[in-house]
Order: sequence, then C-alpha cells, then structure tokens
Amino acid sequence: MTPENTGTHGAVLTDPAAEPGAPVVELRGAGKSYGNIRALHGVDLKVFANQVTCVLGDNGAGKSTLIKIISGLHQHTEGEFLVDGGAVRFSTPREALDKGIATVYQDLAVVPLMPVWRNFFLGSELTKGPWPLRRLDIERMKQTADEELRNMGIVLDDLEQPIGTLSGGQRQCVAIARAVHFGARVLILDEPTAALGVKQSGVVLKYIAAARDRGLGVIFITHNPHHAYMVGDHFSVLRLGTMELNASRADVSLEELTNHMAGGTELAALKHELSQVRGVDVDELPEAGDLTAPVAPSEGKS
Amino acid sequence: MDRSYPRSRKLASVVAVAAAATLTLAGCSSSSGGKDAEEGGANASAGKANTPRMTVALVTHQAPGDTFWDIVRKGAEAAAAKDNIKLVYSADPNAGNQANLVQNAIDQKVDGIAITLAKPDALKDVVSKAKAANIPVVGLNSGVSEWQKLGLMQFFGQDETVAGEALGKRLNQAGAKKAVCVIQEQGNIGLTQRCDGVKKTFKGDLQTLNVNGTDMPSVKSTITAKLKQDGGIDYVVALGAPYALTAAQSVGESGSKAKVATFDLNKSLTGAISKGDIEFAVDQQPWLQGYLAIDSLWLYKNNGNYMGGGEQPVLTGPAFVDKTNVETIDKFAAKGTR
Amino acid sequence: MSMTRQAEPAVTTPPAPGPGRQTDGRTSRRSPALRLLARPEVGVLLGALAVLVFFLVTAPPVRDGSSMANILYQSSTIGIMALPVALLMIGGEFDLSAGVAVITSALTASMLSYQLTMNIWVGVIVALAVSLGIGLFNGWLLVKTGLPSFLVTLGTFLILQGVNLAVTKLVTGNVATDDISDMEGFAQAKAIFASSFDIGGVNVKITVVWWLVFAALATWVLLRTKYGNWIFAVGGNKESARAVGVPVTFTKISLFMLVGFGAWFVGMHQLFSFNTVQSGEGVGQELIYIAAAVIGGCLLTGGAGSAIGPVFGAFMFGLVQQGIVYAGWNPDWFKAFLGVMLLGAVLINLWVQRTATRR
Repeated sequence: MTPENTGTHGAVLTDPAAEPGAPVVELRGAGKSYGNIRALHGVDLKVFANQVTCVLGDNGAGKSTLIKIISGLHQHTEGEFLVDGGAVRFSTPREALDKGIATVYQDLAVVPLMPVWRNFFLGSELTKGPWPLRRLDIERMKQTADEELRNMGIVLDDLEQPIGTLSGGQRQCVAIARAVHFGARVLILDEPTAALGVKQSGVVLKYIAAARDRGLGVIFITHNPHHAYMVGDHFSVLRLGTMELNASRADVSLEELTNHMAGGTELAALKHELSQVRGVDVDELPEAGDLTAPVAPSEGKS
Repeated sequence: MDRSYPRSRKLASVVAVAAAATLTLAGCSSSSGGKDAEEGGANASAGKANTPRMTVALVTHQAPGDTFWDIVRKGAEAAAAKDNIKLVYSADPNAGNQANLVQNAIDQKVDGIAITLAKPDALKDVVSKAKAANIPVVGLNSGVSEWQKLGLMQFFGQDETVAGEALGKRLNQAGAKKAVCVIQEQGNIGLTQRCDGVKKTFKGDLQTLNVNGTDMPSVKSTITAKLKQDGGIDYVVALGAPYALTAAQSVGESGSKAKVATFDLNKSLTGAISKGDIEFAVDQQPWLQGYLAIDSLWLYKNNGNYMGGGEQPVLTGPAFVDKTNVETIDKFAAKGTR
Repeated sequence: MSMTRQAEPAVTTPPAPGPGRQTDGRTSRRSPALRLLARPEVGVLLGALAVLVFFLVTAPPVRDGSSMANILYQSSTIGIMALPVALLMIGGEFDLSAGVAVITSALTASMLSYQLTMNIWVGVIVALAVSLGIGLFNGWLLVKTGLPSFLVTLGTFLILQGVNLAVTKLVTGNVATDDISDMEGFAQAKAIFASSFDIGGVNVKITVVWWLVFAALATWVLLRTKYGNWIFAVGGNKESARAVGVPVTFTKISLFMLVGFGAWFVGMHQLFSFNTVQSGEGVGQELIYIAAAVIGGCLLTGGAGSAIGPVFGAFMFGLVQQGIVYAGWNPDWFKAFLGVMLLGAVLINLWVQRTATRR
C-alpha cells in the first residue's frame, strides 16, 4: 500500500493537527437555519485526536443537523466551523473526506446488494492501467479490504457476498474499518448502536475504542448515555437545537449524564408541579441543584 | 445584455461555436441527391375562385403519422386553396372520438362537412345532427356501402374491400399461386378489409402475416422468416408503401423468388416499380378523394351540383400503377400528391 | 496512508493467510455450480436455450444457418438498445423515450442532410449530438427536479412523438423523410451501420457484431471500472453512494446519455438500411427494450443486473418473434404466442434461480 495507489482519495495522515492538543475540528457558536426554522444554534464543540467526543440528544435535538454540517452535506448558516484551526465551509461530503473527516451514517452508506469489497472501496476505488483501459484493481482491493477488516478484528468468509447479508454489527464494523482505512482523522458515527442488540453493541463499542486508540478523533452520536459513558472522553448534550451540557469525563457522572439525557433539567423544573399530581412518583427525579456539571451558556431559545 | 451576468458570456461563446460549426458544415455539402436535386415543379393549382369565403371540416379516422391520410389531406388542402375555403382538418382513429370531432365541427357552424365512415354506426347520430343543422355532409374513402343509408349527399372513394378484390384479380392474372398478406398493425379494420378483399378474389392460397409496424428491422426480419418458412410463396402483398419497400429487401435477402405487390403509393415506391423491385401497386388515389370531397361541397354551395348525380358513389380506384404507367405518375408521387 | 504509520489497533485478530483461514462459521459455501445457476443471466440463458430447442424441434426452418442469422439480426436491433437501457435500469432509472428517440435520431440525420444537401456525415454527427442532448435533458431534469424517471421520460416520450411527426411534416411536407440513398457519404455510413457479410454462405448483419462488441464493452465497464461500480451504487442506494463520494449526478446523467447514444446507433441503422424513416415509428419499442433488460435479470428497482443478461433477453425476444413465424402458426395468435413464450421463459429463469438459491 503506497500513497500514490490510493486513487483520488486525498486524505493522508501526514499532517496531523498543527500542534498537539489543539482540536482537529472545532465549532464556535455554529448554527443552521432551514428557511425560518432554526434547527441548530450556538453550538460549541471541540474534537481532539485520540478522544471520543460523545454527542447526546433526544430525537429532534439537532444531532443530524450537526453531523450534516461537519460531514459536508449541509452548510452552517451562523458561527464558525474550523478544521485544524482554519475556517472551512464544505459544499460536498467529498471536501470533508479530503480533510480527513469521515462519516459512518445511520444507514451506514453501504449499498446492500453490492459485495463487501466493492462497498469498502466505493467512491475511492483503486485502479490500474492507463486511460482508456484504466480498470479496477480488484485483487488489490479485495486483499486490502480483507486485511483492514482483519486488523479491526472482523473476519468474513467471503468478500463477494452482498453486504446486505451481513449482520447489523458486522456492517457497522465494515463501515468503520473503511473510514479508518481511508485515513480518517475524524470519524463521525451516527447512532451506530441504535439498531443493535446488546452483544452487537458491545462489538461496535470495541471498534470505537480501537479507532480512538489508532489516533482518530471520534464523534460518537447516540442517545444511549450508557453506551456513551463506556467509551466517551467528552460529552455534549443537545437539546432543542442548542448545547445543554458540555463536559469532560471528569466533570460528569453517568447518573448525571442519564438525567440530562432523560430531560433532567426540564424534569427538575417540572418536579414541583408534578408532585401535586397524584400517581406521579417524583422522588427519584433529581433536584435542579444536583446537576453540578457545567452547563453550556444558553443563547436563549428563540 | 447585462455584462456582469456570467451566462451572457457563455451564451455568446455558444453562439460563436454554433456559427463556426455552421461555417464548417457549409463545406460539407453533398454534390449528389438531397433537396437541391429535387424538382421544384409547379403545384397542381388552378388559380383561385372569388366566391365568398366558406369553412369546411374534414374529419377522418387517420392514425397519427399515416402516409396515406397525409395525401388525402393534401388533396383537400389543394381544393380548399382553389375554392377560397378555410379547411378545418381533424382526425382520430377511435370512432367515438371521431364523432366528437364531427360534433365540434357542427358547433363551429361550418358550411360543409366531409367525413370517412370507417365505423358508420358510431357516426349515425352526428350525421343526422349535421343534417338538422342544414350542414351538407359528404363521405370519402370508407363507407361506400353505407353512405346512402346515413343520408350523406355524395361519396368519393373506394372501399378497402373493393381495392383488395381488385388486387386479388390482378394476382390471378399474374399467375400467382401462393401469396402472403403483411398486416403492419394487427387489428386495424382497414388493413384487415384489404386482406379479406384479396382473399375473396384470389384463386391461390393467401396467408396473413402480422408484423410490428413501428419497428422496421422487425418487419424486415419477420417477412424474411416467413419467406424462409414457406418457400412456395410467390407474391408478398404489402398494405402500405413503406412496408412494400421493406418487403422487397426481405425478398432479396431470403433468396426467395417471390414478387411484391402493394396498396398505396409514395415517392420511393414509384422508383421501386420502375426498377422492377415491386411489381405493381393498387392506388385508390387518396389525393383525389380529398380534393373531390372538398370541391364537391364548394360546387354544391355555389352551383347546387351533385357529383355522381347524388345516387352513385364517385369511385377513385382501383387504379393500378405498374411499369407501363409509372413514368407518368412518378413526378406526381414525388410531390406527394399521388 | 500506509498502515505502518497507524497506531497498533487495540483489537487485533492476526491475519491467517492461505488455506485454513478463520471463518465465522455461519455461512456454508454453496457449490460453484449452484452459485453459477443462481446468477440471473444464467437463468435467462437456460430459458433462451429451452425456447431455442423448442423451436428447433417444432420449426424446421430454424435449423437453417441463415434463419439463425435473421433471428440474430432481429435480436441485435433490440439488443443494442437493451444494453444502455439495462445499464440505466441498474442505475435505478427508466427511459420511456428510448423507442421514439431512435426515430428522432434517424429523422434528424435524414432531414438535415437532405434539406441542406449536405454530406450524410453532417447529419449523422448532428443526430448524435441531438440524441446525446435528449439524454442530457432527461438526466438533467431528473436530477434537478427529483421527479421519478418514469414521469420525466414519459413527458419526453410524448414530446418526441409529437415533435417527430410535426417537424417531419413541416420540413418535408410528408410524414416520412425523403430517400437519401443517392447522397454523398451514404455508402460509407451504410458500411458502418447497416452492411452485412458472409460467413460460410450465411449472410450476417453487421449489427450483430456491434451488438456483441457493445455487450462485451458494457460488461467490462460494469464489472471492471470505477464507472461500473458507480452504476451499481447509484441504483442500489443513491444516498449512500452520494455520502461516500460517488458523483451521483454525473452517473445518472451520463447513463441517460448512453441511452441517447444507443438510440443514435439504432436510428442510424434504420436510416441506412431503409433509406427513409417513417415519423410515427418507434412507439412501443421502449417497453421491448425494458422487457429484454428485465428478462435478462436486471432488477426493475435498480442496483443489480448485468450486461450479458439483456443480450440473452434480446435474443429470446428475437427468437420467439421469428420462431412463431418459422413455425407457421396461425398469425392471429401471434401476440398471444409471444406473451406465452416470454412468460414461459421467464418462469424457467425464475425456477432455476429459486432452485439454485435454496439452502
């Protein structure tokens, strides 16, 4: 595997973050409006290499919008988006990929009917021979795919089988292995464990850790605080399109994270009201004062 | 043009390229054939009448793109131009729709209506409505046995069956023993009537062959296949000029000894007849049908005349075109009037 | 992006090269023969062979070499168009305008050359541009509006049908074009698009050769090039393909233009083998092309199929169409026979695949 053989894929690991400790990807007060609908606003997020940054949030909290901005599918309409300290504005996912930002979507961005190895290299196919006889280097692609999958601990009988025949966890792992292979520095994982069973989720979390240990910055989108807490180094909770919590592992406990995810602050405010209603058990709900983690400054909900 | 608008510059370059291409193309003219070689013969026009302007509707059962009806329409247009008539042409192969078109003409209060009676029953009602509105109605092309029953004033043309019968007799004269009738549109009544007519008078064996008329290569290979399958076929009867020309190609390719006869003419067909690729064509003079139908309405309005005396149909066919008379017809066919 | 530069992963399974490699033990390998049979193009091949044997038995003229050449000719005129239509279908789209686009192309070449008294090649080149333009328009409209291709191309189908007729009438005064066989360049063009040659006394049409050449080319492109990979991807899952950087818009539009190219080629064949073109032809052919592709194992919804399958599909169509005539059956039943034979062949195909994929 030599760099000149990697096709059009420009992402290489030669220039990691300019200075160690600086975030690879950073959002400063970023937001996105669709017409007069403000889907996301005032979001600050820093993603470091060798760290898993978990973005938690309920459905409709703005997680998808956040991913779409970072992955280049959509553009932010307010605030700043920096990669390696420089402001960027991606117009296609390709540009994001070229900066080393790879996304593994909820639907995994795989084509179910296509063989595993074709899916692995889809969009970044290896070729050989001069034009007009330039053709796919099938041998090398199969071999590389097999190697990469084995390095991630995935063993498949037959790389020719359609990827749709793999289990959900296997597919997830193929997608992660693909992103890692193509030199991703930042890996965005969109709800990778949402549709999986307990054991399969464990396998996927293992690969998330593996990817982090290989030096990647991982953005792990989930609504399961337990999964997040198992691998996360930093936690951000989105609510109604803005950042509600922004804390590193040391500053937040699993319980607190769970409470935030369950709508903790709002529920705490409601606790008093709810306690008046017979049949609602409020004893287990946290008081507002119990939530000690630094809450991101709110820009106010407009 | 707004200079700051980038598209305008793009447009200008497109225009420039197109202009350059045109200049380049100008050097590629063909020194043989083409429009330049076509004769610019005078039209069959006989001056113009100074009678008051009138409006006549011609409603046929033409299917879109049919060569035959195109010639009928040209005849009608020629008569209209001469007689100071505004011609309103409409057509629909579906009888119900054709009736609606006639009703439309009545609503427009035209001065005369010419219709084809492919399905007389469907048109009965609208014809009586037209009569009630004092609009003279003449028939053309199909309906030679029904026009009087429906109370049409006059009729011009020839039944498909009669044309078929004439062709059948001609095949007998040529000594044919086994013929195949090529139907390019399965289920088309006019085409079926032609084949049935041939069958009625032809003493030999007549088979029918259905081909996909919208796909010429398919027509060609199907006729070739038929000639292969039955080596005894000595005549191919085509039901339209383009299909006759294709049939002649099939005959050549299959190595069969069969000859080709056809209904209807066109520009290329007369050439094929003089070359001997096609033996003869039976022509019902569609141009004449259109011309006479419109002219008769003008005569009726301006002089009270009845062509055919009001009792007899005016027959426009069958007229045979073969090697003996093709030369006189050739130049008319080239203009698309025969 | 060398592996060695990357940190050692936390979870590693040492690669076990060569035989005896580790498997996850959940899938058992099916025998190569069964795997081959499970391929849709093999099923349709068997279906076509069954029909061939049937006609060899029931219709003696089919046994003749020249009859086979005739059947192949008919198949090739369907097959040349069925190829790009199949690629488009694998790419997830339809083109209902494919049938009339053939005639549009032939009309353009014929009328332009004749009316301006130009060398035939001028008309041929302009016709190519027009055909590619129609494809571009279809593709562009599809990509821009996001409407289903069924709707977009139904529109172009109707437009072209009307334009064919109206423009021909306007330009020539007739509903067919003028004979161009005596014009300069005709012989050359005919040699390329509509000539024939002898093999062992059998007259074979050049379109058969082009058909097979295009099929080989399409197969190579589909299985061995990036572009082929993209075709499968945009048909299989457009959004995923876009997300991993496949140029979806380019792929879709170029596929429509490929259909335009096919329409141009078949249009030129028709023009140079029949000298004139009827403006009303071509209607209904689009369904035959689509049928040949589907019979050939292309998934109607896109994402799966082959280029070789439609070759057999078109062959089966030509075979049935001519076989019925060779067998000398009652022609009134022609369409019914055609339908029954095609259904029969498709059922054989289905049965073979079901049997082969049963575990």
